[in-house]
Amino acid sequence: MPLMVVTVFLGGWEFTVHHMDIPRSLLPAPSYVYERMRTTFSPLMTNAWPTTLETMVSFLIATVGGVVLALALTSSTLMNASFYPIVVFFQLIPKIALAPLFVVWMGIGSTTRIEFAAFMAFFPVVISTMAGLRATPGDALRLCQGLTATPWQVFFLVRLPYAVPYIFSGMKIAITLAMIGVIVAEFISAERGLGYLIVFASSQADTALILAAILILCAIGLVLYGLVALGEWLAMRRYC
Amino acid sequence: MTAKAKHLDLWQVSKTYQSAQGPVEAVSDVTLSIEEGDFVSILGPSGCGKSTLMMMLAGLESITDGVVVERGRQVTGPREDVGLIFQDATLLPWLSVLDNVLFPVKILKKPRNEYLRRAHDLLAMVGLSKFENHRPSQLSGGMRQRVSICRALILDPPLLMMDEPFSALDAITRDEMNLALLDIWQKNPKTGVFITHSIREAVLLSDRVLVMGGRPSKVVCDIKIPFGRPRPDDIAESPEFNKLCGELKQYIQSGHKRTEDVST
Ligand SMILES: Nc1ncnc2c1ncn2[C@@H]1O[C@H](COP(=O)(O)OP(=O)(O)OP(=O)(O)O)[C@@H](O)[C@H]1O
Ligand SMILES: [Mg+2]
Repeated sequence: MPLMVVTVFLGGWEFTVHHMDIPRSLLPAPSYVYERMRTTFSPLMTNAWPTTLETMVSFLIATVGGVVLALALTSSTLMNASFYPIVVFFQLIPKIALAPLFVVWMGIGSTTRIEFAAFMAFFPVVISTMAGLRATPGDALRLCQGLTATPWQVFFLVRLPYAVPYIFSGMKIAITLAMIGVIVAEFISAERGLGYLIVFASSQADTALILAAILILCAIGLVLYGLVALGEWLAMRRYC
Repeated sequence: MTAKAKHLDLWQVSKTYQSAQGPVEAVSDVTLSIEEGDFVSILGPSGCGKSTLMMMLAGLESITDGVVVERGRQVTGPREDVGLIFQDATLLPWLSVLDNVLFPVKILKKPRNEYLRRAHDLLAMVGLSKFENHRPSQLSGGMRQRVSICRALILDPPLLMMDEPFSALDAITRDEMNLALLDIWQKNPKTGVFITHSIREAVLLSDRVLVMGGRPSKVVCDIKIPFGRPRPDDIAESPEFNKLCGELKQYIQSGHKRTEDVST
């Protein structure tokens, strides 16, 4: 069904563009976008790679950092009382507005983009992991206590596995936010990447190239999300 | 078997919880000894502090006042040689039945291979050999509780404490579990502390029954069960058994009468 809708939509688009003589710079026909994608395939790919890589790296940083901070915040009431409100604050503000600041402070390199994207993706991981770490049944903790388990054992053998579904729901949000973070940083730093290509194409009024880049971004986004979902499926089979 | 060694000595043990509504005195001034190898049941109305008392003995709850001594050493926290069974089986859902039974072995970093055999034997004893590789979610409530019994026994602790282990089970499964427990004690006697709401269960399993009650809660009654071991399966139908249950029921209802020793 969705396939049919898409086909009808693309067909309608193609037809309207040709029929009404809309200029290419305003709205190119799907066939022309495809054409443009083929002719510029190599620059598209050279720019797709850094975007993908930076998204993955920032996602990994956000995930590991988020889980570690969540552990620290749930391990002591003092830590929790002092830092949790700050985490919630950052979760609520539109972090994207801080992107130019990152560029001002840290330059236009790849590290800046990774840091900004990790910053975007970090907070949902912290918050959902904290919820997960708090979800361990009290009975299970008492069992460990009765066996004189060390805090590390309790964390790795009991609390972390119980938190797995929560962590993955945070990670699924994080992968999308990491990608948004990288693209926005590419818009601003204008060095390389698909975000940069989009900005560049728009300065040339090359709408077909913009659409081609967006199409590739969508594909990358879907694949990355799919990988996280696959990881979730494997972990759930192992831990639930 | 006259003067048995003391396993647990409680001296003026009290517990006061600090809650938002002010202090709650859950257990007050309990002094008693539990002898090596005795199976002791604790009965009493809901909220009278049975779980609190057991948690203090297990070292999982601080003792506000008084002293608990286990085999000559003061209890200050949890010890690895105490088996604990709770009302819920508390199995880890991602581990197989076998791995759940071996969980204490893992926590205490003992060699898994040495305990594998014992785990198989324990699971066979409770009739779960075929389910070793199942997940807890694939078992019934009674089966899960049997797994948790095996887990508590895997390190062969000299002291086993159970807080209403069978109260979530149906009557028939419960009877089966009682017989299984009798069997375990028959084969390998150890000291047992058993909390229950069922008078018949307490009398069937125990060498001694304590009744808690009053406000703040104390031990109001301490009865020896005069049946030897092994106990015949039909002991619960005998007149002496029923008479004892009737007496206990009265003590629980009156909540204060203190009996020194019924067996003499
Ligand atoms: N953590 C706690 N904080 C404050 N009060 C508590 C706490 N735990 C128990 N209490 C109080 O202590 C008293 C005894 O509780 P406990 O759980 O030991 O009773 P119990 O005899 O095990 O009851 P039940 O048969 O229902 O399990 C109760 O009045 C309860 O309200
Ligand atoms: Mg209780």
